[in-house]
Amino acid sequence: MVADTESRYPDWGAVYADNANWVYRMIFARVCNYPDAEDLTAEVFLAALRPLRTTASVAQVRGYLRVITRTVLAAHWRQTMGCEITSIDDVPDVTLEAEHAVNSTTAQQVQRVLAALPGNYRRILELRFLQGRSIKESATQMGVSVANAKVLQHRALRLAATLNEEKEEQ
Amino acid sequence: MSERGLHRYVDDLLHGRRPRPFVAEPFEAAQIRVAIEVRGARTASDAPSERFLTDLHRRLAAPMPRGQQAHDSLNGPHATRRQVVVGASAAALAGSAGIVAGAATAGVIPDGHARAEGPSMQPSDGSWQVVAASADVSAGEMHPFDVGSVVGFVRRVNGQPEAVSGVCTHQGCRLWFDRPLDQLRCPCHSTAFSPTGQVVNHLLVTAPEPLPRLEVREQHGSIEVFVAQKPPTEPA
Repeated sequence: MVADTESRYPDWGAVYADNANWVYRMIFARVCNYPDAEDLTAEVFLAALRPLRTTASVAQVRGYLRVITRTVLAAHWRQTMGCEITSIDDVPDVTLEAEHAVNSTTAQQVQRVLAALPGNYRRILELRFLQGRSIKESATQMGVSVANAKVLQHRALRLAATLNEEKEEQ
Repeated sequence: MSERGLHRYVDDLLHGRRPRPFVAEPFEAAQIRVAIEVRGARTASDAPSERFLTDLHRRLAAPMPRGQQAHDSLNGPHATRRQVVVGASAAALAGSAGIVAGAATAGVIPDGHARAEGPSMQPSDGSWQVVAASADVSAGEMHPFDVGSVVGFVRRVNGQPEAVSGVCTHQGCRLWFDRPLDQLRCPCHSTAFSPTGQVVNHLLVTAPEPLPRLEVREQHGSIEVFVAQKPPTEPA
């Protein structure tokens, strides 16, 4: 990673090498699946890289990539779901550190929401989403039937979404 | 209310598959948001694979045909799974960052173009330039072209060629043709135009102008566009 944001990249290959990773991670955090994250990352770089003047500073290039990523993500949600599910803040000159801070804030928010859920709801979400267990494994762990585990998962998500929305309204 | 789409979406997400789209109600969207946030809190799961990074690098390094969009020709197992069609070769983002520039942009907007609405301009000083072979422009297709000072798309309507500019009227970004949606789309601010050049949707405060139409004719097995030598003295 280039540390000096006032410096310049020697060529587009350097731009790609220095930025592909964080662009991908920024997208992945907002779609959470590899196929979409890979396609959207490709879309960003195909749209952004060729017309890029490498005389731009590192900071400018990153800002530009962020803008493109933001619009590509917004278009993805509108086209697939008809509404924006997740987004990238429209904040100019956001540093990579700030992006890490955003991710960290999201993680804390997730922990808060999980902590606010009844025990069974929290457990099913932890097993399924955080630990990646199958519904069958999760059911066994919790000592419930698979059908029950599914119902718990659906209800837990509904309640978590309600709590999230209430937080946003506050 | 059936939540089948939602449950299937979450299931896909948990299995690492590409989630199948559906039109989400607001509360379904909220649940998907939570699902993504919780799933995203799983550690060490967000790094791109080396295979993907290498493939994309190879795609970016591949030469792009003049006047063509970056059609994803890599349909092998390592290509991205969705067809990515992005106008990139000279996608001049003349945005606030001002860090990119395309050679085609400066002269493309006024030269030889007439607005889709209102009276057409009749440039007298210019020349007809071949933009495609007649056989290459079929019904239902937007055929991209780039003749240096003019970038656009030509298509057939009732057998007759029609052409519009391929540059967004907002900030000059180069458009790409989204075939499944039958729209010309701008990579910079997500504006979409119909094949006739009308704005279909946008995220801007003020709707951008429709795309200028280009004078076009067909003769001797070729499709030609009129390219003016000088910009008009009066705005359209």
